[in-house]
Amino acid sequence: MGVISKFARRKTLIRFRKMKLNLFGVKGNSLFKKTLSVFSMMLTPLFLMAAEGVVAPPTEFNPMAWDWSSILTLVLAILIVLVIARAFDIGSLTEKITGKTIVSWNNVNAWAAMVFLILGLIGVWYEMEYHGKYLLLGDSASEHGITLDSMFYWTFGFTFFVFIVTEILLFYFMFKYKYDKNRKALYYFHNNKLEIIWTIVPAVVLTFLVLRGFGTWTKITTNIDKNSEEIEVFAYQFGWKARYSGDDKQLGASNFNFISGSNPLGIAEENAVNILVDELKVEIGKLEAQKAAIEDSSKIWKMQYDRFVSTGTDRTYPDEFKVLKTKYNDLLSGSYERQLEKDIKRKNTAIKRIASYKKDKETFNGSAKDDKVTTEIVIIKNKPYIFKFRARDVIHSAYMPDFRAQMNCVPGMPTSFAFTPIKTTAEARISKNNPEFDYYLFCNKICGAAHYNMKIKVTVVSNEDEYKTWLATQTPFVAPPAAAVPAEAPKGDSMTAVKTGTVVKN
Amino acid sequence: MSTAALHTEHDAHGHHKESFISKYVFSMDHKMISRQFLITGIIMGIIGMGMSLLFRLQLAWPDEQFGILETLLGKWGKDGKLDPNFYMGLVTIHGTIMVFYVLTAGLSGTFSNLLIPLQLGARDMASPFMNMLSYWFFFMSSVVLLISVFIETGPASAGWTVYPPLSALDKAMPGSGLGMTLWLVAIALFIVSSLLGGINYISTVLNMRTKGMSMNRMPLTIWAFFFTAILGVLSFPVLLGAALFLIFDRSFGTSFYLSDIYLEGVGALENIGGSPVLYQHLFWFLGHPEVYIILMPALGITSEVISTNARKPIFGYTAMVISLMGISVLSFIVWGHHMFITGMNPFIGSVFMILTLIIAVPSAVKAFNYLTTLWKGNLRFTPAMLFSIGLVSFFISGGLTGIYLGNAALDIQLHDSYFVVAHFHLVMGSAAIFGMFAGIYHWFPKMFGRMMNNTLGYFHFWFTFISAYLVFFPMHFMGLAGVPRRYYQFTLLKEFEVWADVNVMITMAAMLGGIAQLFFLFNFFYSIFKGKKAEQNPWQSNTLEWSTPVEHLHGNWPGEIPAVYRGPYEYSRPDREEDFFPQYIPDEKAPETAAQEGVVEPVETKTEEAESSVFFAAIKRVFGLS
Repeated sequence: MGVISKFARRKTLIRFRKMKLNLFGVKGNSLFKKTLSVFSMMLTPLFLMAAEGVVAPPTEFNPMAWDWSSILTLVLAILIVLVIARAFDIGSLTEKITGKTIVSWNNVNAWAAMVFLILGLIGVWYEMEYHGKYLLLGDSASEHGITLDSMFYWTFGFTFFVFIVTEILLFYFMFKYKYDKNRKALYYFHNNKLEIIWTIVPAVVLTFLVLRGFGTWTKITTNIDKNSEEIEVFAYQFGWKARYSGDDKQLGASNFNFISGSNPLGIAEENAVNILVDELKVEIGKLEAQKAAIEDSSKIWKMQYDRFVSTGTDRTYPDEFKVLKTKYNDLLSGSYERQLEKDIKRKNTAIKRIASYKKDKETFNGSAKDDKVTTEIVIIKNKPYIFKFRARDVIHSAYMPDFRAQMNCVPGMPTSFAFTPIKTTAEARISKNNPEFDYYLFCNKICGAAHYNMKIKVTVVSNEDEYKTWLATQTPFVAPPAAAVPAEAPKGDSMTAVKTGTVVKN
Repeated sequence: MSTAALHTEHDAHGHHKESFISKYVFSMDHKMISRQFLITGIIMGIIGMGMSLLFRLQLAWPDEQFGILETLLGKWGKDGKLDPNFYMGLVTIHGTIMVFYVLTAGLSGTFSNLLIPLQLGARDMASPFMNMLSYWFFFMSSVVLLISVFIETGPASAGWTVYPPLSALDKAMPGSGLGMTLWLVAIALFIVSSLLGGINYISTVLNMRTKGMSMNRMPLTIWAFFFTAILGVLSFPVLLGAALFLIFDRSFGTSFYLSDIYLEGVGALENIGGSPVLYQHLFWFLGHPEVYIILMPALGITSEVISTNARKPIFGYTAMVISLMGISVLSFIVWGHHMFITGMNPFIGSVFMILTLIIAVPSAVKAFNYLTTLWKGNLRFTPAMLFSIGLVSFFISGGLTGIYLGNAALDIQLHDSYFVVAHFHLVMGSAAIFGMFAGIYHWFPKMFGRMMNNTLGYFHFWFTFISAYLVFFPMHFMGLAGVPRRYYQFTLLKEFEVWADVNVMITMAAMLGGIAQLFFLFNFFYSIFKGKKAEQNPWQSNTLEWSTPVEHLHGNWPGEIPAVYRGPYEYSRPDREEDFFPQYIPDEKAPETAAQEGVVEPVETKTEEAESSVFFAAIKRVFGLS
């Protein structure tokens, strides 16, 4: 017995034995009971939490409804494994008895390596032939995409070469140097020259790739044309909206506190914001009323609950009963009231914040009035653009693989991506030989259940006229004065300014 | 000292008797703990793989109905169609289980525990009690994670990286409710387990090596476990911090990660001033070293297995250690490459790009060294050897695509596409799991005293190897064509239709891979009880663990711990008839003095480099002195 470990062992043991624990009624001094009680103490709350939300009771025992074909397939598969194992057991037994080698597995594996190599290379060739045309979606539809593609092909050249050479060597060595009891392996520890070579060569190649990548990256991210047109792209669960600046060539400011049903992007437009404040006040009034009527609701829910239980309908309508039960439990535990208070407080904060923004003349400078919110993006060929990204709820990512463009849309952190389209939708349709082709911007950051279905069409038109025709069909955020709805009296309370979030000023 | 004598001694000192509980359940013996880690890891692996097959069914045949889905998942698989929310949940839990529970705890936990004391010549870990706690925290963590799958609102479903605000707001998706809370609790417990283990591994490696076992005579497995443990100890606390902040944001109304949020049906939230990107920085500060925490033990195992079965010294021992060290250091300063397109400053992006591509150099050195070790070897294809070679193949093909993704410019196009899925499943997923299989086949005789069936092992290898390439290779092409990952079905764009048949092929290949694992599972569990009895040193290996008796003992060696006389890779020495020369056998020339001093220069030290310590050699190399 080693001195150190024995000593350490005993010491920790003694220490643990001296601990006096009596938790959850598990008495006794044995190591097991103590450890058990510690663990049970730690796990119990979790089990309780989980028990709260356990799935509905399992359906009745009904073997007829089982998926017998799947079960049989599984059983069959397991049986096959067993039979194969047995067959080889018998094989090895015969080998032992007869003294002859039936299968030399070492050779079989060496040959298998060779077969794998050849089939693998054919597979790689087939993939290249069959799917190679989709490498990077064919030609780039944006200016910077051309440099990015050339970066890609350089990298592809190097890595593909290394991939093919090393994999061939690996499997060839497997075949060539298979075991031979008459041979002895080379006693070869190291070779500094060789090692220096394969440290320096990859280093040089990578330096080349790094420098090129650095150039490409800098060019894409920092070479931004000052005359670029700004378009705001706005992400929410689960869709996109775009905003054009209108005649004044300036996007109005925006803030998440201004978002409402009629103003989904939260644009700083006085009229819309006033309507929102009114709505919020109405909602607060409703919540206050609910809070005041807690006693009554408690009685009503109690009655409903009792009726469910007494008539036995809680079993026939389990879902409804569950909803009611949760509501009733929340009410009893006080969490219903707390939630109401929280909602009221949150809405009050929103009103306060809106009030403090409204004092800021720069935010409400009227440039939002002619902004156009659209459900499609139309851009002009060979014109530089900056897409300004905003997200409302969670992180999304605006992905336009045809334009080699991607940028995350982060709530609270406006981002942007600048690019120049060089290929119209019509041209792409011809080159892709697909008359229905369209460019799309879609979400590429997990954002919820409908993440897979979140896109907006991007159309590249060839000239200014086409673009203007389209833009004319879009209505500005506030209709021109002739049709304007008379504004309701602003009700911004004169509350003290609070610390508020980011106002996006474009 | 015999086993019996050992026990008498225990009893004489009032040591507790070995009951079933203290021997098999709350055991403090590193060999038992390693088996516990392995079997828990395998069970978690089965669950993780099963989940991947379920969502692969959805991806291949989005319009079909599968009765089995309803049987297994109940309301989440109504009418045999997978629910989109649960699809996200499956993806998330599959990732979490595979990354943390199988490839971190299952791989590193198993083999660090088994091999560190045995290969270094120690009676047990520095603190056996902490070691036991490490396993039981891991066990609890697994239980909590599995519980989270069964709750009504579903498990955490924001992807295994659980980026807030999606994961922070329970109104944003159902999985961000109780499921997410349990996920965070599970991860917190997991981190505790990992830290307890890591500290133990580091102190054992530094303090408890046997006579003659200098640092530069340690097998490469130990070097790998050592650096892995250091990475874990330094980076896991950061994830704990990230998780705590997230718990605060979720439950106590703070705004570490939340700002400017409007939720449909709720309205504008009060949170202001936080940053979702902060979470990503904290997460990937662990997340990137985590990749190497997963990969390095597998590389260590591979070095050992390849050298043993090629009957040839590992090529460039020093270079291997230095590259492990280089990878460990660099892995801490490259996390930003996961975030090139989060909108962070482009200049910071370029710094991370440069650092990231530097890490490819030590990786390349390792790959070339493996190839040279095979060159002119005498290769015995045991299943372990095949899996190790498979690892090298994956390490090359998956590692090379890292050069694309580490390049910020290319990442604009490739980020979060199937290219990424292909990349990390090859280099981190398949490579590490192959390392784990290699380890299991190689050290099974040591763990269970019996041999596994080789034939089944060969079937297992070839089917798994082929299926892994069939599954992941076409995904590169999908990614390059702009197909995004984590999509429930590909109905968004017409162009995605091209990939429908590829998706079917991938799912079929994945099923083949799943069936191949049945060979392994059967082999593994059957051999534990009915396998052929193992010899003491079945692979004619050099390292110290094969000098212990087949039957497990408390304290590993019945008598004195053997001393070590040379490096671990003395295979096929020209001056010896046998093709191996174990570390623990004294030199024939002057055995007495050698044993006393514990320093015998191996043949290799005749060259200038190996005389000095590894660190010294590194310095020499840097200044070009060698």
